[in-house]
Amino acid sequence: MYRLLDRITRGLASADELAELESLAAMVRDTSLCGLGQGSPNPVFSTLRYFRDEYMAHIDDHVCPAGVCKMEPREAAVAAGEGAR
Amino acid sequence: MSVLTLTIEGRDVAGQTGGTILQVARENGIAIPTLCHLQGLSDVGACRLCVVEVEGQRKLLPACVTAIDEGMKVTVNSERLTAYRRRIVELLFTERNHVCSVCVADRNCELQDLAVELGLTHFDLPLLSPQASVDATHERFGIDHNRCVLCTRCVRVCDEIEGAHTWDVMGRGTEARLITDMGIPWGDSNTCTSCGKCVQVCPTGALFEKGRSVAEARRRRPYLPYLVAHEGRTR
Repeated sequence: MYRLLDRITRGLASADELAELESLAAMVRDTSLCGLGQGSPNPVFSTLRYFRDEYMAHIDDHVCPAGVCKMEPREAAVAAGEGAR
Repeated sequence: MSVLTLTIEGRDVAGQTGGTILQVARENGIAIPTLCHLQGLSDVGACRLCVVEVEGQRKLLPACVTAIDEGMKVTVNSERLTAYRRRIVELLFTERNHVCSVCVADRNCELQDLAVELGLTHFDLPLLSPQASVDATHERFGIDHNRCVLCTRCVRVCDEIEGAHTWDVMGRGTEARLITDMGIPWGDSNTCTSCGKCVQVCPTGALFEKGRSVAEARRRRPYLPYLVAHEGRTR
């Protein structure tokens, strides 16, 4: 999940990877033994619930609306999308 | 002891008070995939493969450590559960270096069987490819941490059956490793009785007998008659 989030913040991720992040987070929440595991994906869920548009801006428009993320050049994102994830 | 009645996969079944969902399901011929469970050892609910849906419970519950209750309605197989189980096995594969084609346990491996059963045909997640070590200091056995899934069967059989408690787990998350004694080489351990029970219960090729080559690590489970991995399955 960290790797997927990192790729999103660097502007390297695709929409598929966002779906991957969501399914992985749901699985971790539902199958964990203890409260730590069940709660660990919560930041992902809550940011997706309230700031999904910002996730999408990173992926589709290659910009960070909050100006926090250092995005990789667009060419790198294109190359990463074509290569192995 | 009283008898409780419940429904598993739409079938009416009965079990003793204190029995687990897994026990009752298997008594009635309903299969639930497991990895860390081994009949005769305590259950730890660590592998999460036996998770089932119980009506009225928001969470998924591990069948091996969930006691049955009167009127329980249990779902063992659903699209969601199969997807989660497949993902769990995928995570186990990608966390270490599991290469079946060069493994002593090839075709005698419970992890491999699970991957086939659950239809894991490819990995969506990247391989972590950790630099895990191999400890071959013991005279007769070896441990390849690359193939370990941390089911802790060896830890439990060593503690509960042999009474030596040579094995333990050190570290957390992806750093977790099996250790002998206080993290000394297996060959230097003075608690290990060299009984080989850990080797026989290992579901993968992590623990192996020296001198065995690829796909030759057939487990001699009948050697431990009080332990059964899967009913009707002897390896």
